[in-house]
Amino acid sequence: MICGFCGYEFDESEGKRGCGGCPGGCHAVHCPRCNYKNPPEAAVIKKLKRIFHKGEKR
Amino acid sequence: MDVFKKKNSCHSSANGSTGAARKVALVGNPNVGKSVLFNALTGAYVTVSNYPGTSVEVSRGSATIDGGEYEIIDTPGMYSLLPITEEERVAREILLNESPDVVLHVLDARNLERMLTMTLQLIDAQLPVILVVNIMDEAERMGLSIDLELLREKLGIPVIGAATAKKRGLDEIRRAIASYRKGSHAVFGYSRRLEADIDSVASLIRGEYPLAKKSLALLLLQRDEEVTALVEQREGEGFPQIRERVKEKSFERRESFHLDLSMERKGIVKGLLDGVFNLPDKRVVTASERLSRLAVRPATGVPLLLVVLYFGLYKFVGDFGAGTLVDFLEGKLFEEMFNPWISGVVKGVVPWVAIQELFVGEYGVLTLGLRYAVGIILPIVATFFLFFSILEDSGYFPRLALLVDRIFKKIGLTGRAVIPMVLGFGCDTMATMVTRTLETVRERVLATLLLALAIPCSAQLGVILSLLSRAPGALLVWSLCLLLIFLVVGFAAARLVPGETPMFYMELPPMRLPQLSNVFTKTYTRMQWYFMEILPLFILASVLLWIGKLTNFFETAVETMSPAMAAIGLPKEVAVAFIFGFFRRDYGAAGLYDLQTNGLLDPRQLTVAAVTLTLFIPCVAQFLVMKKERGWRVAIMIGLFVSLLAFASGWLLNQFLLVTGIL
Repeated sequence: MICGFCGYEFDESEGKRGCGGCPGGCHAVHCPRCNYKNPPEAAVIKKLKRIFHKGEKR
Repeated sequence: MDVFKKKNSCHSSANGSTGAARKVALVGNPNVGKSVLFNALTGAYVTVSNYPGTSVEVSRGSATIDGGEYEIIDTPGMYSLLPITEEERVAREILLNESPDVVLHVLDARNLERMLTMTLQLIDAQLPVILVVNIMDEAERMGLSIDLELLREKLGIPVIGAATAKKRGLDEIRRAIASYRKGSHAVFGYSRRLEADIDSVASLIRGEYPLAKKSLALLLLQRDEEVTALVEQREGEGFPQIRERVKEKSFERRESFHLDLSMERKGIVKGLLDGVFNLPDKRVVTASERLSRLAVRPATGVPLLLVVLYFGLYKFVGDFGAGTLVDFLEGKLFEEMFNPWISGVVKGVVPWVAIQELFVGEYGVLTLGLRYAVGIILPIVATFFLFFSILEDSGYFPRLALLVDRIFKKIGLTGRAVIPMVLGFGCDTMATMVTRTLETVRERVLATLLLALAIPCSAQLGVILSLLSRAPGALLVWSLCLLLIFLVVGFAAARLVPGETPMFYMELPPMRLPQLSNVFTKTYTRMQWYFMEILPLFILASVLLWIGKLTNFFETAVETMSPAMAAIGLPKEVAVAFIFGFFRRDYGAAGLYDLQTNGLLDPRQLTVAAVTLTLFIPCVAQFLVMKKERGWRVAIMIGLFVSLLAFASGWLLNQFLLVTGIL
C-alpha cells in the first residue's frame, strides 16, 4: 500500500505494528517511514478488487 | 542452498503455473506503475498470495499474447539486485528461482538516471531484460526528451516508451514479449581494478547459476549472505578458495567497495544517457507543480488553506453533513420515527422499567447511544472522511505539513517535539508513543503533556469543528482559541524541548487529481474502522450511564460537577457531555450538539464548552498509552493537569466573552 501522507510504498504487514494503546488492537496501518495513520483496506474492498482484477498496489 | 531449494519446491504449488506457459516477471522500483501494467497485461484470473515463507504478497496472472500463453508475475518493488528489505529479497528470489523467460524492467521516465542503475545490474546478470520507460506522458509534460532508439542501441536490449496508466505503449510491450529472443546485449566495463577484482572471484566459480558469474562475483564482494550460501552449496570443495578470495578482496577495499561500485555505475549511466536524455532549456512547470508550490509558500499557502477549509469543512462537512444530513437522520428519522417506535416496542415487550431504561431511556443504548452514533456522528464523519480522503489522495497533506513547518520556522518554532506534535493531528495515541524517540525523560514527559493538552486528532477535530460550524461565531472563537493555545504550547515546546527539528519525510509525492476509487475506498474503510472503534464505546458509555442512573451515581456525579460547570458559565446538564467526553471527545461533542439543539446552550456557552472539551484528554486509548509509556503516576498527573487547565481556559474564555459580549 501507499502511505497517504508521504507516498512511501510498503507492505500492509509492515505497518500493522500499532502502539498497543487502542482497546481491541490497532485498527490502522502506520507508515513505517512517517508513522502516518493509514486506513487498512477493508476486507470487502479487497475482495471486490480481486473480483474486478485490481492490483494490490498502484 | 536450503532456502532457495525449499522455496523452489513451494512455488510449483503456490504459483499455479501451468508449466507450458512462459514466465514474464515485472520488476522495478516502487511507484513506477508495475501493477498498472500487470493489470493491463493479465486477464481476469489473478491470484494474490503470500510468497512462501514470507508475508510479502505476490500477484500472478495469465495472459495470451500473440497466441502464446504467459504467466505474468508482479514482483514487489526493488531498488537493486542486492536486497535490503524483505520485499526486495522476494523480488530477487523470483528472478533467481523461477527463471523468467522475460524480465520487464519498468522504470519512471522522470527518474531515468536514478533507476537505470538497476537495468545495468539486470543486464550484467544476463537476465532476459526488456526495458519499459514508463510515465512518458508526465516526462513529456515536464519538457524532458528521451531518445529511446539511441538508448536501445546503447543497451542492446528492447526499450519501449510507455504511459501504462493511459494505455500507451501496451501493444509494443506485448509485441516485444512475444518476439523476445535472448541475444547479444551491451557489456559495461568497470574500472581496470574493479574488473580485475571481479574476474579474480568469477574465474573460481564453476557451477551453473541463474545469474552471470560477473554478477555473482559482485554480489559476493558485496557480502550478500544468500548468494554466498548458494555458491557454497553449489561449489562444494571449491568454495573455501572463493571465500578466501572474496575475503582478501573485501579486506583490500574494505572502506570503499560499495561507494566505488555505486560511483562507477553512476558514471556508466551518465555515459549511457549522454545524448539520450535531454533537459529542456527552460524547465516546463506543470499545473500540479504550480499548485504544489502555491500550497507550500506561506503567502499563498495560508489563503489556499482557508479556501479549502471554508468550502471543504465549513460548507460541505458543516453545512451539508452536520446540517442537512443530521437534521434528516437525527431530527426526522430518530426523534420522530425510530425512537417513538422502538420505545413502544421495548415497553410493550419488557415489563421492567429499569430494563426499559437501559434500551430506550434518557441514556438508553438505542435511544441515545445509537442515535448519537448513527444520527449525529455517522453523517458528520461520512462527509468529513470524504473531504479528508479527497485531500489525502491529492497529496495536499505533506504540503500542508511543509507549510506549517515553514510558518513554525518563520516564527521561531523549532525543536524536536515538533514532529510528535504534528503527528498528533493524525493520531495522538501513536504520537504519544513516538515521544519515546526524544532524548531525555524530561523531553518525553513534556511532549506527552503538550500532546494531551492541545493536539486533537483529525477525526475528533473534524467532528467538533463540524458540530460548531452551525454556529459561525462559536466556530470562529473556538478556532482562534485553539490557534492561540496551540501557539502558546508550540512556543513552550520550542523552549522546553529545543534543538534542531529533524526531517520526517524525504520527498514530496506528486500532487494529482484525486482518484474516485481511492477516495471512496478510503472513506468507506475509515468509516468502518471509526465505527468499530466508537460504537462499543458508545454502547459501554450508555450502559455505564444507565448503571449510574440506577444507582444515583450519575446524578451525584452531575451534581458534584455542577459547581465547576457553573464556574465556567454552563448549565449543570453539560456535565453529561463531559462525562461522555471522558470516553472520547467526539462523543462529548455529540452531547453538546444535542444540548444545543434542545435549546439548553447559547452560542457563548457552546463555545466555552467546546473549547474546554477540546482541551480534555482525547480518549481512553491515549490515556492508556500515556500510562504505558510514562507510568501510572505521570499519566494521572498529566490527566489532572490537563483537566484543570481545560477548565481554567474555559473559565477565562467565559469571562472574556461576558466582558466583551462578542457572542
